[in-house]
Amino acid sequence: MPAVVKQRISRRPRPLATGLGEKGVLTQLAGRRLLVVTGKGGVGKSAVAATLGTLLARAGRRALVLEVDPRENVHQMLDVPPSGGDIVEAAERLFLQNLQPRQVVDQLVRDRVRIELIARRILASPLYHNFVEGAPVLEEAAILGHCLLLAEGRSRGAPPLDVVVLDAPATGHGVSLLSAPSLVSAAIAAGPLAELTGEVAELIGDTERSAVVVVTQAEEMPVTEALELRTELAARLDRSPELLVVNQLLPGGPPRPRAGESAAAKLWRRRRRLQDHEVGRLAAAWPGRRWELPLLPFDRGPELIEALAAAAAGQDA
Amino acid sequence: MTTGFEWPRLLVVVGAGGVGKTTLAAALGLLSARGGTDTLVMTFDPSHRLKDALGVGAEAGVETRVELGDAVTGRLDASLLDARRTFDGLVDRYAPDPAARDRILGNRFYRHLAGSLAGILEYMAVERLLEVWRAGEHERIILDTPPTRQALDFLGAPRRMVSFLESGAIKVSTRRWFVDDGRLRGARALGPLGRRFESFLDDVVGLELLRDMGEFFQAFGPLYEGFRQRARQVEQLLVSRDTVFFLVSGAGEENVPDTLFFARKLEETGHHLGPVLVNRLHPRAGLAADREAAVRGDGAALLAWLAERDARGLEHLRTLLGPERPLYDLPLLPEAPSEIQSLARLAELLAERLRGV
Repeated sequence: MPAVVKQRISRRPRPLATGLGEKGVLTQLAGRRLLVVTGKGGVGKSAVAATLGTLLARAGRRALVLEVDPRENVHQMLDVPPSGGDIVEAAERLFLQNLQPRQVVDQLVRDRVRIELIARRILASPLYHNFVEGAPVLEEAAILGHCLLLAEGRSRGAPPLDVVVLDAPATGHGVSLLSAPSLVSAAIAAGPLAELTGEVAELIGDTERSAVVVVTQAEEMPVTEALELRTELAARLDRSPELLVVNQLLPGGPPRPRAGESAAAKLWRRRRRLQDHEVGRLAAAWPGRRWELPLLPFDRGPELIEALAAAAAGQDA
Repeated sequence: MTTGFEWPRLLVVVGAGGVGKTTLAAALGLLSARGGTDTLVMTFDPSHRLKDALGVGAEAGVETRVELGDAVTGRLDASLLDARRTFDGLVDRYAPDPAARDRILGNRFYRHLAGSLAGILEYMAVERLLEVWRAGEHERIILDTPPTRQALDFLGAPRRMVSFLESGAIKVSTRRWFVDDGRLRGARALGPLGRRFESFLDDVVGLELLRDMGEFFQAFGPLYEGFRQRARQVEQLLVSRDTVFFLVSGAGEENVPDTLFFARKLEETGHHLGPVLVNRLHPRAGLAADREAAVRGDGAALLAWLAERDARGLEHLRTLLGPERPLYDLPLLPEAPSEIQSLARLAELLAERLRGV
């Protein structure tokens, strides 16, 4: 059995020396090893992950934003070329990596099967292909396993890091990702994968080392899903999310109806009323910390992240 | 009721997560029934209010009649799919005897992992689709597709599931891999690669899982041929003339590459792509976009900016899709359709668009 699994460089992050306020949730998040940013597809998870990474890097943490999506997005927001699987430095202390979920599992095979020729034969075999394709829970567990190895300096060739921000894949419910490690370790009794997934399950269960950030929009389906996620997390992993981000809110205070107003003014008022209703629904059922971030007139890009970072810092103060 | 759009017998609504597929599938169902056709809408995880609107109760897997009033001649049924229950149902139905059934349902691999197998929801969707298609109780089926990492994952689901079963049923788990004490035996039959694969599995996955999987696949063996046949049949159905894909896209230029990729891929794989619909377009605002004002918190200016962005995206997509491809758009509504009346208004808008081809 490879000895790698046993090596632990450090389990606790370095003490903080940052300009962050003492009470803000950012300070709390900055002390974790892993932030899992989750939410329904299309709510702006990647932008929030990039914003969190940016804020943490500026606060003095060495942060890596990990995107696991066939389509790369985060690089556009951090203004760097696509990572293509490599770790890219986007700013001081801020790194970015995009991995295909499959690459993560493949990497695990390479790490475990040390002889390159054999590893290559395995990776090329249809048997392996079908096996991995068929069991996504392995992929999900491997993604979190990769985060753990990165965050603890156990991933070959990676820079030393304080925190990994995982932009969770949009597939299904976030809770299936988060419970994948315990599922796999329940199904697998022994062996290196069982050990790794066991460690990851422990990390996910440890509220001092990991945090869950739920992103939503103030619309019915995303809000319902966010509330379900909260309930499921409590039931299955006995933890609650550290932060709720309500993304893409229209500005508050639309003018009262008046004759001759533009269609846009009318739509603003009606949509905002709907959003207020949904925010109210969240406020009633979500006791934890909440950021409300604005809908902004910027395409995906650094301008958007700057504006979101400013808004988030304002919310956190 | 619509002249431009030729309704197929099976309409599959596809698109990325969060674009409004479920709501549109429901609106299409309503439109279809109002046109006098008995219609079934098959959906996944719709929002609670939409569930109420369609009358799909808490109970998954059960078809519910939607009350449309006497003026509507067609019948509208809606069903909500539950993957796990469908899987258990299939095992129950196709297992050769109760003992075989219990062996599968009680297997640790099945209980922990089978419910989260890749594409299990999609696979169960197509199994269920085939079932209702064959039952022939509806003149038209509108299938909402589950959110997938890549929207086309849905189409590959039957094949992937079969490949997975095949990899297990044929190779990994045959009895000769295990001796009586449950230890792995040399996989001589597979030659050198087999031995390497075996040692990889042993090393990475561990023997325990392998043994559970072995038992699962052995128990599953008698069912496997049926799964394979049905997967092939459903693949044939999806490329047949009876089936048209209705592609839904989000608004804005950011979504253009995905939509285009989708459209091309569908056609490349021999599927019939019908209308492409850009949903929730910010409507023309009646004033000029003023980004500075928008940044300062003027919501009307922001909506005007978004309207211009969405219009650019729509034109871009229209150019790239070409003139033959019908492209429609629906505006962002002040409120999300939540009961049958507002769903009906959405259906009206949709009908106007489809009629206008």
